[in-house]
Amino acid sequence: MKSKLIIAVAAMGLTVLFSSCQKVPQTEIDAATAAIQEVKDAGADMYVPEAYQALVDSMKSANEKVEVAKAKWFPSYTKAKATLAVVSQMAVDTKAKSEARKVELKAETEAAIVEVKALVEENKGLIAKAPRGKEGREALEAIKADLAVAETTVTEVEGLLANGDLLGSNSKIKAAKEKATSIKAELEEAIAKKGKK
Amino acid sequence: MALNKKKIKWITVISLSVVFLVITVCVIIVSQRKQPNDDLRFAREALSEAKEAEADVYSETKYKQATQIYESAMKNWSRENDRFILVRDYGSVISSAQKAKKIAEESKEESIAKADDLSKNVDAAFVSMEKKIELYNKLFKSLPIPRSVFDAHNKSKMFFSESKIAQGNGKLKDAEILFKKAEIYANHANTAAAKMLRDYFNDYGRWKSLANDAIAASRGGNKVILVDKVAHILYVYQSGKIIRSYDVEFGPNWMAHKEQAGDKATPEGNYHITSKKAGGGTGYNKAMLLDYPNAEDRAHFAQMKRQGLISKRAGIGNLIEIHGNGGRGFDWTSGCVGMRDRDIDDLYRVVGSGTRVTIVGSIEPLSTVTGGVDF
Repeated sequence: MKSKLIIAVAAMGLTVLFSSCQKVPQTEIDAATAAIQEVKDAGADMYVPEAYQALVDSMKSANEKVEVAKAKWFPSYTKAKATLAVVSQMAVDTKAKSEARKVELKAETEAAIVEVKALVEENKGLIAKAPRGKEGREALEAIKADLAVAETTVTEVEGLLANGDLLGSNSKIKAAKEKATSIKAELEEAIAKKGKK
Repeated sequence: MALNKKKIKWITVISLSVVFLVITVCVIIVSQRKQPNDDLRFAREALSEAKEAEADVYSETKYKQATQIYESAMKNWSRENDRFILVRDYGSVISSAQKAKKIAEESKEESIAKADDLSKNVDAAFVSMEKKIELYNKLFKSLPIPRSVFDAHNKSKMFFSESKIAQGNGKLKDAEILFKKAEIYANHANTAAAKMLRDYFNDYGRWKSLANDAIAASRGGNKVILVDKVAHILYVYQSGKIIRSYDVEFGPNWMAHKEQAGDKATPEGNYHITSKKAGGGTGYNKAMLLDYPNAEDRAHFAQMKRQGLISKRAGIGNLIEIHGNGGRGFDWTSGCVGMRDRDIDDLYRVVGSGTRVTIVGSIEPLSTVTGGVDF
Protein backbone atom coordinates (compact mmCIF):
# COMPACT_ATOMS: atom_id res chain seq x y z
CA MET A 1 0.00 0.00 0.00
CA LYS A 2 2.84 2.27 1.03
CA SER A 3 4.85 1.54 -2.12
CA LYS A 4 1.79 2.21 -4.30
CA LEU A 5 1.46 5.62 -2.70
CA ILE A 6 5.12 6.39 -3.38
CA ILE A 7 4.69 5.36 -7.03
CA ALA A 8 1.60 7.58 -7.36
CA VAL A 9 3.40 10.59 -5.86
CA ALA A 10 6.43 9.99 -8.11
CA ALA A 11 4.21 9.74 -11.20
CA MET A 12 2.44 12.98 -10.30
CA GLY A 13 5.77 14.68 -9.74
CA LEU A 14 7.01 13.55 -13.15
CA THR A 15 3.77 14.75 -14.80
CA VAL A 16 4.15 18.17 -13.19
CA LEU A 17 7.84 18.25 -14.15
CA PHE A 18 7.22 17.47 -17.83
CA SER A 19 4.18 19.66 -18.14
CA SER A 20 6.27 22.58 -16.82
CA CYS A 21 9.04 21.98 -19.37
CA GLN A 22 7.33 23.73 -22.28
CA LYS A 23 8.93 24.14 -25.69
CA VAL A 24 10.16 27.46 -27.04
CA PRO A 25 7.19 29.10 -28.86
CA GLN A 26 9.04 29.03 -32.19
CA THR A 27 5.86 29.16 -34.26
CA GLU A 28 4.78 32.37 -32.52
CA ILE A 29 8.30 33.84 -32.81
CA ASP A 30 8.45 33.04 -36.52
CA ALA A 31 4.98 34.44 -37.11
CA ALA A 32 5.80 37.70 -35.29
CA THR A 33 9.14 38.02 -37.13
CA ALA A 34 7.45 37.48 -40.49
CA ALA A 35 4.75 39.99 -39.59
CA ILE A 36 7.40 42.60 -38.74
CA GLN A 37 9.20 41.96 -42.03
CA GLU A 38 5.89 42.40 -43.85
CA VAL A 39 5.35 45.70 -42.04
CA LYS A 40 8.85 46.85 -43.01
CA ASP A 41 8.26 45.82 -46.63
CA ALA A 42 5.12 47.98 -46.55
CA GLY A 43 7.41 50.94 -45.78
CA ALA A 44 6.26 51.44 -42.19
CA ASP A 45 9.80 52.39 -41.14
CA MET A 46 9.46 55.41 -43.47
CA TYR A 47 5.80 56.29 -43.20
CA VAL A 48 5.13 55.59 -39.50
CA PRO A 49 8.69 55.40 -38.04
CA GLU A 50 7.64 55.79 -34.41
CA ALA A 51 5.03 53.03 -34.55
CA TYR A 52 7.50 50.80 -36.40
CA GLN A 53 10.20 51.40 -33.80
CA ALA A 54 7.76 50.56 -31.00
CA LEU A 55 6.98 47.32 -32.80
CA VAL A 56 10.66 46.40 -33.17
CA ASP A 57 11.29 47.20 -29.49
CA SER A 58 8.34 45.02 -28.47
CA MET A 59 9.73 42.13 -30.49
CA LYS A 60 13.09 42.52 -28.77
CA SER A 61 11.31 42.51 -25.43
CA ALA A 62 9.43 39.32 -26.43
CA ASN A 63 12.70 37.64 -27.39
CA GLU A 64 14.15 38.59 -24.02
CA LYS A 65 11.10 37.10 -22.30
CA VAL A 66 11.60 33.87 -24.23
CA GLU A 67 15.19 33.66 -23.00
CA VAL A 68 14.23 34.56 -19.44
CA ALA A 69 11.80 31.63 -19.50
CA LYS A 70 14.31 29.36 -21.18
CA ALA A 71 16.86 30.03 -18.44
CA LYS A 72 14.61 28.57 -15.76
CA TRP A 73 14.58 25.00 -14.39
CA PHE A 74 11.04 24.57 -15.53
CA PRO A 75 10.46 26.99 -18.43
CA SER A 76 7.04 28.52 -18.86
CA TYR A 77 6.55 30.66 -21.98
CA THR A 78 3.12 32.00 -21.09
CA LYS A 79 4.34 35.61 -20.67
CA ALA A 80 6.51 35.43 -23.78
CA LYS A 81 3.62 34.03 -25.80
CA ALA A 82 1.36 36.82 -24.58
CA THR A 83 3.95 39.42 -25.62
CA LEU A 84 4.39 37.72 -29.00
CA ALA A 85 0.63 37.84 -29.50
CA VAL A 86 0.71 41.57 -28.72
CA VAL A 87 3.60 42.00 -31.21
CA SER A 88 1.66 40.20 -33.93
CA GLN A 89 -1.36 42.41 -33.30
CA MET A 90 0.87 45.50 -33.23
CA ALA A 91 2.31 44.44 -36.59
CA VAL A 92 -1.18 44.30 -38.07
CA ASP A 93 -2.01 47.73 -36.61
CA THR A 94 1.29 49.27 -37.74
CA LYS A 95 0.85 47.96 -41.25
CA ALA A 96 -2.66 49.43 -41.33
CA LYS A 97 -1.31 52.76 -40.03
CA SER A 98 1.42 52.71 -42.65
CA GLU A 99 -1.06 52.00 -45.44
CA ALA A 100 -3.36 54.74 -44.15
CA ARG A 101 -0.43 57.22 -44.04
CA LYS A 102 0.49 56.27 -47.60
CA VAL A 103 -3.07 56.86 -48.78
CA GLU A 104 -3.12 60.17 -46.87
CA LEU A 105 0.22 61.28 -48.32
CA LYS A 106 -0.81 60.33 -51.83
CA ALA A 107 -4.10 62.18 -51.51
CA GLU A 108 -2.29 65.20 -50.02
CA THR A 109 0.24 65.24 -52.87
CA GLU A 110 -2.42 64.79 -55.52
CA ALA A 111 -4.47 67.61 -54.04
CA ALA A 112 -1.37 69.81 -53.90
CA ILE A 113 -0.61 69.03 -57.55
CA VAL A 114 -4.09 70.24 -58.48
CA GLU A 115 -3.61 73.34 -56.32
CA VAL A 116 -0.19 74.14 -57.80
CA LYS A 117 -1.48 73.66 -61.33
CA ALA A 118 -4.35 76.04 -60.57
CA LEU A 119 -1.95 78.52 -58.98
CA VAL A 120 0.34 78.38 -62.03
CA GLU A 121 -2.60 79.14 -64.30
CA GLU A 122 -3.79 81.90 -61.98
CA ASN A 123 -0.30 83.38 -61.92
CA LYS A 124 -0.14 83.33 -65.70
CA GLY A 125 -3.32 85.40 -65.73
CA LEU A 126 -1.87 87.79 -63.14
CA ILE A 127 1.33 88.21 -65.17
CA ALA A 128 -0.78 89.56 -68.02
CA LYS A 129 -2.27 92.15 -65.65
CA ALA A 130 0.99 93.01 -63.88
CA PRO A 131 2.46 96.49 -64.29
CA ARG A 132 5.44 96.94 -66.56
CA GLY A 133 6.99 99.96 -64.93
CA LYS A 134 10.71 100.57 -64.65
CA GLU A 135 12.43 97.19 -64.49
CA GLY A 136 8.96 95.65 -64.58
CA ARG A 137 9.71 93.54 -67.59
CA GLU A 138 12.84 92.02 -66.07
CA ALA A 139 10.95 91.33 -62.87
CA LEU A 140 8.17 89.68 -64.87
CA GLU A 141 10.68 87.63 -66.82
CA ALA A 142 12.15 86.47 -63.52
CA ILE A 143 8.67 85.61 -62.25
CA LYS A 144 7.90 83.71 -65.46
CA ALA A 145 11.08 81.71 -65.05
CA ASP A 146 10.18 81.05 -61.41
CA LEU A 147 6.78 79.87 -62.52
CA ALA A 148 8.35 77.63 -65.15
CA VAL A 149 10.40 75.97 -62.41
CA ALA A 150 7.22 75.40 -60.38
CA GLU A 151 5.57 73.90 -63.48
CA THR A 152 8.55 71.61 -64.14
CA THR A 153 8.45 70.52 -60.51
CA VAL A 154 4.82 69.47 -60.91
CA THR A 155 5.84 67.18 -63.78
CA GLU A 156 8.72 65.80 -61.69
CA VAL A 157 6.36 65.22 -58.76
CA GLU A 158 3.91 63.33 -60.97
CA GLY A 159 6.77 61.08 -62.04
CA LEU A 160 7.89 60.50 -58.45
CA LEU A 161 4.34 59.73 -57.40
CA ALA A 162 3.97 57.22 -60.23
CA ASN A 163 7.17 55.53 -59.01
CA GLY A 164 5.79 55.30 -55.48
CA ASP A 165 8.08 57.92 -53.92
CA LEU A 166 5.38 59.36 -51.70
CA LEU A 167 7.61 61.24 -49.28
CA GLY A 168 9.88 62.75 -51.97
CA SER A 169 6.94 63.82 -54.12
CA ASN A 170 5.15 65.29 -51.08
CA SER A 171 8.04 67.53 -49.99
CA LYS A 172 8.73 68.59 -53.60
CA ILE A 173 5.13 69.60 -54.25
CA LYS A 174 5.06 71.50 -50.96
CA ALA A 175 8.08 73.52 -52.14
CA ALA A 176 6.40 74.12 -55.51
CA LYS A 177 3.22 75.24 -53.75
CA GLU A 178 5.20 77.60 -51.57
CA LYS A 179 6.86 79.05 -54.66
CA ALA A 180 3.64 79.41 -56.64
CA THR A 181 1.94 81.03 -53.62
CA SER A 182 4.78 83.51 -53.13
CA ILE A 183 4.70 84.39 -56.84
CA LYS A 184 0.96 85.00 -56.57
CA ALA A 185 1.47 87.27 -53.55
CA GLU A 186 4.24 89.16 -55.39
CA LEU A 187 2.06 89.67 -58.45
CA GLU A 188 -1.02 90.66 -56.44
CA GLU A 189 1.04 93.19 -54.50
CA ALA A 190 2.40 94.70 -57.72
CA ILE A 191 -1.09 94.85 -59.24
CA ALA A 192 -2.51 96.41 -56.07
CA LYS A 193 0.22 99.08 -56.10
CA LYS A 194 -0.52 99.78 -59.73
CA GLY A 195 -4.22 100.18 -58.83
CA LYS A 196 -3.41 102.72 -56.10
CA LYS A 197 -1.36 104.81 -58.52
CA MET B 1 16.90 -10.66 6.51
CA ALA B 2 16.05 -8.08 9.16
CA LEU B 3 19.56 -6.70 8.87
CA ASN B 4 19.20 -6.49 5.12
CA LYS B 5 15.94 -4.52 5.40
CA LYS B 6 17.54 -2.16 7.89
CA LYS B 7 20.55 -1.77 5.62
CA ILE B 8 18.36 -1.03 2.59
CA LYS B 9 16.42 1.50 4.60
CA TRP B 10 19.64 3.25 5.62
CA ILE B 11 21.00 3.19 2.09
CA THR B 12 17.72 4.70 0.83
CA VAL B 13 17.75 7.44 3.43
CA ILE B 14 21.38 8.27 2.76
CA SER B 15 20.84 8.21 -1.04
CA LEU B 16 17.79 10.44 -0.82
CA SER B 17 19.70 12.78 1.47
CA VAL B 18 22.58 12.94 -1.01
CA VAL B 19 20.18 13.56 -3.90
CA PHE B 20 18.40 16.21 -1.87
CA LEU B 21 21.70 17.77 -0.96
CA VAL B 22 22.90 17.74 -4.58
CA ILE B 23 19.62 19.26 -5.78
CA THR B 24 19.77 21.90 -3.05
CA VAL B 25 23.33 22.78 -4.00
CA CYS B 26 22.36 22.94 -7.68
CA VAL B 27 19.37 25.16 -6.95
CA ILE B 28 21.57 27.41 -4.83
CA ILE B 29 24.23 27.57 -7.57
CA VAL B 30 21.66 28.34 -10.26
CA SER B 31 19.74 30.86 -8.17
CA GLN B 32 22.97 32.59 -7.20
CA ARG B 33 24.06 32.88 -10.86
CA LYS B 34 23.43 36.38 -12.22
CA GLN B 35 20.97 36.34 -15.11
CA PRO B 36 21.59 38.72 -18.04
CA ASN B 37 17.96 39.79 -18.50
CA ASP B 38 18.28 43.14 -16.71
CA ASP B 39 21.47 44.04 -18.59
CA LEU B 40 19.88 43.16 -21.91
CA ARG B 41 16.77 45.12 -21.06
CA PHE B 42 18.91 48.15 -20.17
CA ALA B 43 20.84 47.73 -23.42
CA ARG B 44 17.60 47.51 -25.40
CA GLU B 45 16.21 50.61 -23.70
CA ALA B 46 19.45 52.49 -24.34
CA LEU B 47 19.27 51.48 -28.00
CA SER B 48 15.68 52.61 -28.20
CA GLU B 49 16.58 56.00 -26.71
CA ALA B 50 19.51 56.30 -29.11
CA LYS B 51 17.20 55.58 -32.03
CA GLU B 52 14.78 58.17 -30.77
CA ALA B 53 17.67 60.64 -30.78
CA GLU B 54 18.26 59.61 -34.42
CA ALA B 55 21.59 57.99 -33.62
CA ASP B 56 21.07 55.76 -36.67
CA VAL B 57 21.38 58.96 -38.72
CA TYR B 58 23.86 61.12 -36.81
CA SER B 59 25.95 58.47 -35.04
CA GLU B 60 25.52 55.66 -37.50
CA THR B 61 28.73 53.72 -36.76
CA LYS B 62 28.29 53.62 -33.00
CA TYR B 63 24.59 52.88 -33.24
CA LYS B 64 25.23 49.98 -35.62
CA GLN B 65 27.99 48.68 -33.35
CA ALA B 66 25.72 48.81 -30.29
CA THR B 67 22.93 47.05 -32.20
CA GLN B 68 25.26 44.30 -33.38
CA ILE B 69 26.65 43.74 -29.88
CA TYR B 70 23.10 43.58 -28.45
CA GLU B 71 22.04 41.07 -31.11
CA SER B 72 25.14 38.99 -30.55
CA ALA B 73 24.48 39.05 -26.78
CA MET B 74 20.94 37.81 -27.41
CA LYS B 75 22.28 34.94 -29.55
CA ASN B 76 24.84 34.02 -26.89
CA TRP B 77 22.15 34.10 -24.22
CA SER B 78 20.04 31.72 -26.27
CA ARG B 79 23.07 29.49 -26.89
CA GLU B 80 23.89 29.37 -23.17
CA ASN B 81 20.26 28.57 -22.36
CA ASP B 82 20.48 25.60 -24.71
CA ARG B 83 23.31 24.16 -22.60
CA PHE B 84 22.81 22.03 -19.44
CA ILE B 85 21.62 24.32 -16.67
CA LEU B 86 24.57 23.74 -14.38
CA VAL B 87 27.22 24.56 -16.96
CA ARG B 88 25.64 27.75 -18.33
CA ASP B 89 27.83 30.83 -18.20
CA TYR B 90 26.25 34.24 -18.78
CA GLY B 91 29.43 36.21 -18.13
CA SER B 92 30.09 37.10 -21.76
CA VAL B 93 26.38 37.80 -22.36
CA ILE B 94 26.31 40.24 -19.46
CA SER B 95 29.51 41.99 -20.49
CA SER B 96 28.26 42.26 -24.10
CA ALA B 97 24.93 43.67 -22.92
CA GLN B 98 26.73 46.21 -20.75
CA LYS B 99 29.00 47.13 -23.65
CA ALA B 100 25.99 47.50 -25.99
CA LYS B 101 24.30 49.78 -23.43
CA LYS B 102 27.43 51.92 -23.04
CA ILE B 103 27.93 52.31 -26.79
CA ALA B 104 24.23 53.00 -27.33
CA GLU B 105 24.41 55.77 -24.71
CA GLU B 106 27.51 57.19 -26.37
CA SER B 107 25.82 57.09 -29.76
CA LYS B 108 22.85 58.94 -28.29
CA GLU B 109 25.13 61.65 -26.90
CA GLU B 110 27.06 61.86 -30.15
CA SER B 111 23.84 62.02 -32.14
CA ILE B 112 22.45 64.87 -30.03
CA ALA B 113 25.72 66.81 -30.36
CA LYS B 114 25.98 66.21 -34.09
CA ALA B 115 22.33 67.07 -34.72
CA ASP B 116 22.85 70.24 -32.74
CA ASP B 117 25.94 71.13 -34.78
CA LEU B 118 24.16 70.29 -37.99
CA SER B 119 21.20 72.40 -36.97
CA LYS B 120 23.52 75.35 -36.36
CA ASN B 121 25.34 74.70 -39.64
CA VAL B 122 22.08 74.48 -41.55
CA ASP B 123 20.88 77.72 -39.93
CA ALA B 124 24.15 79.45 -40.89
CA ALA B 125 23.98 77.97 -44.39
CA PHE B 126 20.42 79.26 -44.77
CA VAL B 127 21.55 82.77 -43.84
CA SER B 128 24.35 82.55 -46.39
CA MET B 129 21.89 81.26 -48.99
CA GLU B 130 19.43 84.08 -48.29
CA LYS B 131 22.32 86.49 -48.88
CA LYS B 132 23.14 84.84 -52.20
CA ILE B 133 19.53 85.13 -53.35
CA GLU B 134 19.39 88.72 -52.13
CA LEU B 135 22.62 89.51 -53.98
CA TYR B 136 21.22 88.03 -57.16
CA ASN B 137 17.97 89.95 -56.82
CA LYS B 138 19.79 93.17 -56.07
CA LEU B 139 22.55 93.07 -58.67
CA PHE B 140 21.78 90.58 -61.36
CA LYS B 141 18.01 90.17 -61.62
CA SER B 142 17.58 93.17 -63.92
CA LEU B 143 20.57 92.33 -66.12
CA PRO B 144 20.14 90.68 -69.52
CA ILE B 145 21.63 87.45 -68.26
CA PRO B 146 21.47 84.17 -70.23
CA ARG B 147 18.54 81.84 -69.68
CA SER B 148 20.80 79.13 -68.23
CA VAL B 149 21.88 81.49 -65.44
CA PHE B 150 18.29 82.47 -64.82
CA ASP B 151 17.26 78.81 -64.61
CA ALA B 152 20.13 77.97 -62.25
CA HIS B 153 19.02 80.75 -59.92
CA ASN B 154 15.43 79.53 -59.94
CA LYS B 155 16.46 75.92 -59.36
CA SER B 156 18.56 77.04 -56.42
CA LYS B 157 15.51 78.77 -54.94
CA MET B 158 13.44 75.62 -55.44
CA PHE B 159 15.97 73.35 -53.70
CA PHE B 160 16.31 75.94 -50.98
CA SER B 161 12.54 75.84 -50.38
CA GLU B 162 12.66 72.04 -50.22
CA SER B 163 15.59 72.24 -47.83
CA LYS B 164 13.64 74.58 -45.56
CA ILE B 165 10.67 72.20 -45.60
CA ALA B 166 12.97 69.30 -44.65
CA GLN B 167 14.43 71.40 -41.83
CA GLY B 168 10.92 72.22 -40.64
CA ASN B 169 10.17 68.48 -40.53
CA GLY B 170 13.30 67.90 -38.44
CA LYS B 171 15.04 66.07 -41.31
CA LEU B 172 18.31 67.90 -40.94
CA LYS B 173 20.35 65.48 -43.07
CA ASP B 174 17.87 65.83 -45.93
CA ALA B 175 17.87 69.60 -45.41
CA GLU B 176 21.65 69.59 -45.69
CA ILE B 177 21.63 67.50 -48.89
CA LEU B 178 18.98 69.71 -50.50
CA PHE B 179 20.74 72.83 -49.34
CA LYS B 180 23.98 71.68 -50.96
CA LYS B 181 22.14 71.25 -54.26
CA ALA B 182 20.65 74.73 -53.85
CA GLU B 183 24.08 76.13 -53.11
CA ILE B 184 25.61 74.60 -56.25
CA TYR B 185 22.95 76.22 -58.45
CA ALA B 186 23.12 79.55 -56.58
CA ASN B 187 26.91 79.65 -56.86
CA HIS B 188 26.71 78.86 -60.56
CA ALA B 189 24.11 81.59 -61.17
CA ASN B 190 25.87 84.23 -59.07
CA THR B 191 29.34 83.43 -60.41
CA ALA B 192 28.18 83.54 -64.03
CA ALA B 193 26.21 86.75 -63.53
CA ALA B 194 29.05 88.38 -61.56
CA LYS B 195 31.56 87.48 -64.25
CA MET B 196 29.28 88.96 -66.89
CA LEU B 197 28.96 92.18 -64.91
CA ARG B 198 32.70 92.40 -64.16
CA ASP B 199 33.57 91.67 -67.79
CA TYR B 200 31.21 94.40 -68.90
CA PHE B 201 32.85 96.86 -66.52
CA ASN B 202 36.27 96.10 -67.98
CA ASP B 203 35.49 99.04 -70.28
CA TYR B 204 34.84 101.37 -67.38
CA GLY B 205 38.08 103.33 -67.92
CA ARG B 206 37.02 104.12 -71.49
CA TRP B 207 33.46 105.01 -70.41
CA LYS B 208 34.77 107.32 -67.71
CA SER B 209 37.02 109.09 -70.17
CA LEU B 210 34.15 109.40 -72.73
CA ALA B 211 31.83 110.76 -70.02
CA ASN B 212 34.44 113.27 -68.76
CA ASP B 213 35.06 114.45 -72.33
CA ALA B 214 31.32 114.84 -72.90
CA ILE B 215 30.86 116.86 -69.70
CA ALA B 216 33.93 118.97 -70.55
CA ALA B 217 32.50 119.60 -74.04
CA SER B 218 29.34 121.01 -72.43
CA ARG B 219 31.34 123.59 -70.44
CA GLY B 220 31.37 126.09 -73.31
CA GLY B 221 27.57 126.29 -73.06
CA ASN B 222 26.84 123.54 -75.59
CA LYS B 223 24.22 120.97 -74.72
CA VAL B 224 25.58 117.42 -74.62
CA ILE B 225 23.61 114.21 -74.16
CA LEU B 226 25.19 111.57 -71.94
CA VAL B 227 23.49 108.18 -71.77
CA ASP B 228 24.23 105.80 -68.88
CA LYS B 229 23.15 102.30 -69.95
CA VAL B 230 23.43 100.58 -66.56
CA ALA B 231 21.45 103.35 -64.84
CA HIS B 232 19.06 103.53 -67.83
CA ILE B 233 19.24 107.34 -67.67
CA LEU B 234 19.76 109.96 -70.36
CA TYR B 235 21.33 113.22 -69.07
CA VAL B 236 21.45 116.55 -70.82
CA TYR B 237 24.52 118.54 -69.75
CA GLN B 238 25.11 122.22 -70.27
CA SER B 239 28.01 124.21 -68.82
CA GLY B 240 29.15 121.07 -66.99
CA LYS B 241 25.82 120.70 -65.22
CA ILE B 242 22.87 118.35 -65.63
CA ILE B 243 19.91 120.33 -66.95
CA ARG B 244 17.65 117.37 -67.77
CA SER B 245 17.50 113.66 -67.02
CA TYR B 246 15.11 110.99 -68.30
CA ASP B 247 14.56 107.27 -67.79
CA VAL B 248 15.36 105.37 -70.97
CA GLU B 249 15.15 101.86 -72.40
CA PHE B 250 17.43 99.97 -74.77
CA GLY B 251 17.58 96.75 -76.73
CA PRO B 252 17.30 93.44 -74.82
CA ASN B 253 21.03 92.85 -75.32
CA TRP B 254 21.97 96.27 -73.97
CA MET B 255 24.84 95.03 -71.80
CA ALA B 256 27.18 94.94 -74.79
CA HIS B 257 28.56 97.30 -77.38
CA LYS B 258 26.73 97.09 -80.70
CA GLU B 259 28.82 95.03 -83.13
CA GLN B 260 26.51 94.14 -85.99
CA ALA B 261 23.03 94.53 -87.37
CA GLY B 262 20.33 92.68 -85.47
CA ASP B 263 22.33 92.10 -82.27
CA LYS B 264 19.79 94.18 -80.28
CA ALA B 265 22.68 95.98 -78.57
CA THR B 266 22.96 99.73 -78.08
CA PRO B 267 26.26 101.23 -79.29
CA GLU B 268 28.74 102.87 -76.91
CA GLY B 269 30.84 105.86 -77.93
CA ASN B 270 30.57 109.42 -79.21
CA TYR B 271 27.79 110.18 -81.68
CA HIS B 272 25.85 113.18 -82.93
CA ILE B 273 22.24 113.85 -83.79
CA THR B 274 22.17 113.95 -87.58
CA SER B 275 18.48 114.61 -88.05
CA LYS B 276 15.27 115.12 -86.09
CA LYS B 277 12.02 113.46 -87.08
CA ALA B 278 8.45 114.18 -86.00
CA GLY B 279 4.94 113.55 -87.26
CA GLY B 280 4.95 111.27 -90.29
CA GLY B 281 8.76 111.12 -90.30
CA THR B 282 8.83 108.48 -87.58
CA GLY B 283 6.66 105.76 -86.13
CA TYR B 284 7.91 106.59 -82.63
CA ASN B 285 6.23 109.95 -81.96
CA LYS B 286 9.54 111.79 -82.32
CA ALA B 287 13.02 110.55 -83.16
CA MET B 288 16.59 111.83 -83.38
CA LEU B 289 18.85 109.85 -85.67
CA LEU B 290 22.44 109.25 -84.56
CA ASP B 291 25.49 108.93 -86.78
CA TYR B 292 26.03 105.28 -85.91
CA PRO B 293 28.22 103.70 -87.15
CA ASN B 294 31.03 106.20 -86.64
CA ALA B 295 34.58 105.71 -87.86
CA GLU B 296 35.58 103.87 -84.70
CA ASP B 297 32.59 101.48 -85.05
CA ARG B 298 33.52 100.78 -88.67
CA ALA B 299 37.13 100.04 -87.76
CA HIS B 300 36.04 97.76 -84.92
CA PHE B 301 33.54 96.00 -87.17
CA ALA B 302 36.19 95.44 -89.87
CA GLN B 303 38.61 94.05 -87.30
CA MET B 304 35.98 91.68 -85.89
CA LYS B 305 35.28 90.43 -89.41
CA ARG B 306 38.98 89.94 -90.13
CA GLN B 307 39.33 87.95 -86.95
CA GLY B 308 36.34 85.84 -87.91
CA LEU B 309 34.49 86.86 -84.75
CA ILE B 310 31.44 87.84 -86.79
CA SER B 311 30.04 86.41 -89.98
CA LYS B 312 31.44 87.68 -93.27
CA ARG B 313 27.88 88.33 -94.40
CA ALA B 314 27.00 90.38 -91.29
CA GLY B 315 26.14 94.05 -91.68
CA ILE B 316 27.20 96.75 -89.22
CA GLY B 317 23.66 98.07 -88.76
CA ASN B 318 22.32 101.63 -88.77
CA LEU B 319 19.31 103.78 -87.92
CA ILE B 320 20.19 104.05 -84.24
CA GLU B 321 17.89 106.73 -82.84
CA ILE B 322 16.71 108.32 -79.66
CA HIS B 323 12.97 107.96 -79.99
CA GLY B 324 9.61 107.83 -78.25
CA ASN B 325 7.01 105.13 -77.63
CA GLY B 326 9.00 104.06 -74.59
CA GLY B 327 8.21 103.90 -70.90
CA ARG B 328 7.35 100.22 -71.31
CA GLY B 329 9.44 99.21 -68.34
CA PHE B 330 11.66 96.82 -70.24
CA ASP B 331 14.37 96.86 -72.87
CA TRP B 332 12.46 96.43 -76.06
CA THR B 333 14.16 98.45 -78.83
CA SER B 334 16.37 97.06 -81.53
CA GLY B 335 19.33 98.96 -80.08
CA CYS B 336 17.88 102.50 -80.06
CA VAL B 337 17.37 104.64 -76.96
CA GLY B 338 13.65 104.56 -76.14
CA MET B 339 11.95 107.31 -74.14
CA ARG B 340 8.44 108.11 -72.92
CA ASP B 341 6.61 110.33 -75.40
CA ARG B 342 6.41 113.26 -72.98
CA ASP B 343 10.17 112.98 -72.38
CA ILE B 344 11.09 112.84 -76.09
CA ASP B 345 8.80 115.84 -76.63
CA ASP B 346 10.79 117.73 -74.03
CA LEU B 347 14.18 116.58 -75.28
CA TYR B 348 13.18 117.33 -78.85
CA ARG B 349 12.64 120.95 -77.81
CA VAL B 350 15.87 121.17 -75.80
CA VAL B 351 18.44 119.76 -78.24
CA GLY B 352 19.04 120.28 -81.91
CA SER B 353 20.74 118.50 -84.79
CA GLY B 354 24.48 118.19 -84.33
CA THR B 355 24.16 117.72 -80.55
CA ARG B 356 26.83 115.40 -79.22
CA VAL B 357 25.46 112.12 -77.82
CA THR B 358 27.84 110.06 -75.69
CA ILE B 359 26.65 106.60 -74.76
CA VAL B 360 28.54 104.72 -72.03
CA GLY B 361 28.01 101.52 -70.10
CA SER B 362 28.13 103.36 -66.81
CA ILE B 363 29.23 106.71 -65.46
CA GLU B 364 29.75 105.20 -62.02
CA PRO B 365 32.32 102.52 -61.22
CA LEU B 366 31.19 98.98 -60.50
CA SER B 367 31.67 99.39 -56.74
CA THR B 368 29.22 102.32 -56.73
CA VAL B 369 26.74 100.57 -58.99
CA THR B 370 26.70 97.56 -56.69
CA GLY B 371 26.42 99.76 -53.62
CA GLY B 372 29.71 98.41 -52.28
CA VAL B 373 28.27 94.91 -52.14
CA ASP B 374 31.01 92.31 -52.25
CA PHE B 375 30.25 89.62 -54.82
